[in-house]
Amino acid sequence: MEDTVFNGGFFTTALWIALGVCCLGLLWRLVSWLIIKIGPDAKEVSFLQRLGAAIIGGIKAIFSKRLPGIIGGFVLDSLLQRRLFKVSKKRWLGHMLLFYGCLVLIVMHALHVLLADKLFSDYQATLNPFLLLRNVFGVATLVGVVLMTSGRKKDWGKVRPARLPIDALFGILVVVIVVTGFLLEAQKMSSPKAFNRMAEEYGIDEDEIKGLRWVWKLDYGVAFPDLKGEPDPDLLEEGRGYNEDYCVGCHSKPQHAFVSYPVAKAAGLIATSTDAANVDKGLLYIHIFACFFAIALLPFTRVFHVVADPISLVVRGAASSAPLSKAGRVNRRALAMDACIRCGLCDFDCSVGPIAKWMNNQELLPSRKVQATRLVASRSEIKAGQAERLAVGAHLCTDCGRCTDRCPVGLDLADLWDAGRGDLSSKGFPAPAVWVKEEPAIAWAEALGAELGRVPPAGPLTADRNQFSACVQCQTCTNVCPVVANSGEDRVDLAPQQVMNLLRLGMNDLALGSKMVWDCATCYQCQENCPEGIRVTDIMLELRGAAWRQLGPVRDRRRSI
Amino acid sequence: MNSQDQLWDVAVVGAGIAGMSAAIFAASKGLSVLHIGNGSGLVFGSGLLDVLAVHPVKDSTVHEDPWHGIELLRKDEPSNPLALVGPKAMEVAVNQIMEALGKAGMPYEPSTTNHFVPTSMGTLKGTFGVPTTMTSGAKAFENKWPTLLIEIRGLREFSAAQMVHTMGDKWPGLRFEKIEFPDSKGVFELYATHLATALETNKTRQAVIDIVRPLIGDAKAVGFPAILGLSESTAVHKAFEDALGVPVFEIPTMPTSVPGLRLKHSFEVAAAAAGVFRRVQSVVTGVKFDNDIATLTLQDATGNQEVQAKAVILATGRFMGRGLFADREKVREPLLDLFVEQPESRENWHSRDFFAKSGHAINRCGLLVDSKWRPTDAFGAVVWPRLYAVGSILARQDWMRQKSGSGLAIGTAWAAVSAMSDDFGSIGGV
Repeated sequence: MEDTVFNGGFFTTALWIALGVCCLGLLWRLVSWLIIKIGPDAKEVSFLQRLGAAIIGGIKAIFSKRLPGIIGGFVLDSLLQRRLFKVSKKRWLGHMLLFYGCLVLIVMHALHVLLADKLFSDYQATLNPFLLLRNVFGVATLVGVVLMTSGRKKDWGKVRPARLPIDALFGILVVVIVVTGFLLEAQKMSSPKAFNRMAEEYGIDEDEIKGLRWVWKLDYGVAFPDLKGEPDPDLLEEGRGYNEDYCVGCHSKPQHAFVSYPVAKAAGLIATSTDAANVDKGLLYIHIFACFFAIALLPFTRVFHVVADPISLVVRGAASSAPLSKAGRVNRRALAMDACIRCGLCDFDCSVGPIAKWMNNQELLPSRKVQATRLVASRSEIKAGQAERLAVGAHLCTDCGRCTDRCPVGLDLADLWDAGRGDLSSKGFPAPAVWVKEEPAIAWAEALGAELGRVPPAGPLTADRNQFSACVQCQTCTNVCPVVANSGEDRVDLAPQQVMNLLRLGMNDLALGSKMVWDCATCYQCQENCPEGIRVTDIMLELRGAAWRQLGPVRDRRRSI
Repeated sequence: MNSQDQLWDVAVVGAGIAGMSAAIFAASKGLSVLHIGNGSGLVFGSGLLDVLAVHPVKDSTVHEDPWHGIELLRKDEPSNPLALVGPKAMEVAVNQIMEALGKAGMPYEPSTTNHFVPTSMGTLKGTFGVPTTMTSGAKAFENKWPTLLIEIRGLREFSAAQMVHTMGDKWPGLRFEKIEFPDSKGVFELYATHLATALETNKTRQAVIDIVRPLIGDAKAVGFPAILGLSESTAVHKAFEDALGVPVFEIPTMPTSVPGLRLKHSFEVAAAAAGVFRRVQSVVTGVKFDNDIATLTLQDATGNQEVQAKAVILATGRFMGRGLFADREKVREPLLDLFVEQPESRENWHSRDFFAKSGHAINRCGLLVDSKWRPTDAFGAVVWPRLYAVGSILARQDWMRQKSGSGLAIGTAWAAVSAMSDDFGSIGGV
């Protein structure tokens, strides 16, 4: 019957359309890896340079000595999902079941004409082990979907990776395909119509079919409405003989289809009506159209990562042996847009992750920032509020590199953040340490004075006045300060001991916009060496916090005027 | 290791020379030592270790032999802490600290007498322990060698011109040259420590050597402000001597000086080597005593914690170190409110003559201790059997005028730790 559905041309046309959409989608995404521009240096490389870098990079990776390592990494990280295993056994199991369930069903079932028939000389969908396995992997796929979608809150906590509607749609399609598959199989098992069609195909005559019908009712679960009571033992014996001759070569006992068979038994009660209503045809249409829809949708969903991630892992392998060219780096950032599956593993180890909860700003999280870098890079104008939230996240990043280290698909996230900061800066959202220096400290103090009451209060410093009164202006802090030591001709405006003196005099406003406060490397030399025990470094950091709270709004107000 | 998790033999409070020395002495006697300090006046040190140079202060009599000075002090001021320590214990103690500092990267010239070191003010400072980087200065003056002093433009705390102006008539061969430090063009003010670390790089050092070499002329020694390296001073000093071919010496500069930072760093290294456990950036805000155990409340950036020790050594210094606090009425000891011996009223704190050579009564106020260095009340009764006090917080001394600061700190630390460890022996603590 499967062989016949394509003859009508309708299915074939639909398949070609689906494949066409899929191919165009794939092409679009592949080309986008050479087009998307992220980072200020992206403007400095042409499309041809990027194409060249991609081709040369690919050739280099194939012929490099590191190829075994690259393949090893691919097996561990991609096929076996080593990193996910370390984080959550449950999610790992879900991922493995879903991926391998789908893979086997595609190879063994969907593409059996192309693959399974050729791989296995005795392949028959209705014959063991294939009969059993199809059920096993169908169930595996469903369990995988459940494990992957359930308990997200419990697995990830309050801060969890984004989920897009299109990805949810794809998940629903997978469930629909598998469920209709089971129903189709069950319907066929119990369907007298299907039995009759097969009998006709094999030219079984009227005499032979009587016993065979009894055998198929009792052993295979076909729901013949006219067969009631007990069969004549001789007739059954005879039927068994015909069954041996005609059927068992292609049909294992259906009980091995441990999902479909119980369904078939239940459906048997209504088999004649479903036959009459052509339910089989309806299910088949849903099953196949869901498949086509999924094919067409694939390049546009998160599932595209099955293509992007292996490539990303190869790029990581190649980049670890020799640094990428500028064009190569820009390509890698674009590839990251598709390779990132928003799995959120990076969020787990993020140094500033805990602050995200405290500040209630999820844009701080690496898994969110990946797409945000594209947003910042692509739109000429971004909404001010959103840009500021993104800027806070971008500039709070400590560049600790744990996200890069942790990424299961081999993204160079540290480079991506750096590029994103560059784009934010060029759109007027540089780090506070940069914009504070747009004006001298005295100008900030005056601007703050003019805006007082319209900006949040700075809050008191944790160091009390007694601490500052102990300051004897001995300059030890300045003497040991490596920032002052290395500032050369472009001197810091105030030396550390002068900042402390401002605080002693109660002129905190003047300290906020000081270059010294913002250039401080927080090495703690001043605090360690202060003979009076003043917490110089801690105070510098507090001043930055106060400046961010107060001067940030002052700057925003001035920009908006 | 957490300092809260164990009962310490000794808790030392204070991170000056007295506290650091007491911690090192106690640890080298095998006691477990918790050292608590927040900041330290060590950075104000010149690197020179005075034992006793002046006695009696009213006559400003300078002694070349500090031990003889202490003997005289014993007769004239028997209750002066230096007299109580005595010359023998003092010699052992100071030599032990100089040796420990040498091992920690700040070597001192072996010494038996006071030396007279030229200072940046153009004066001569009589002192006992001289860092090897400074010793040639004393020799150059003693032998009146023709000597070149190097002044650096922008380094405010050192003027070779002033030195030549002040010392020139006593030291005819003394002259100076002013140089521009490499890469300092356009920089108004230079800081000694920055120059010291810059000189630890070959490039900068060579550049300075190239500037100075043609200036030497007939000079038999070259003097620099004390900027020859921070943690690598021995190597930097040697590199200058090798390259210039004449003795090179450092001249101690105004506080905060590079040798002060070296001293702090070396004391910290020596304390670590002795096995002292240090709680830096912590302040002791309270002490409670019961029969055998003292409980100290520590405050740091994370809040309050309590630590316990069998003995406490108080080395919190005078007013600068906040070991003593003066209000409008009287001088107090703020941590334990110990008895402070002092003039009856504020009127008597200072003599009428501000520059009186004999000093002021307030300079000699402080804690009284018994023969085992334990603070007492006004009637001589000890406050707690194993609370000891050392260093400049003690009464009846004037370390600034006596030029005996380091000796007072190191000597009393040695004596108190000896008394304490005898006590530990008798109670079977160690």
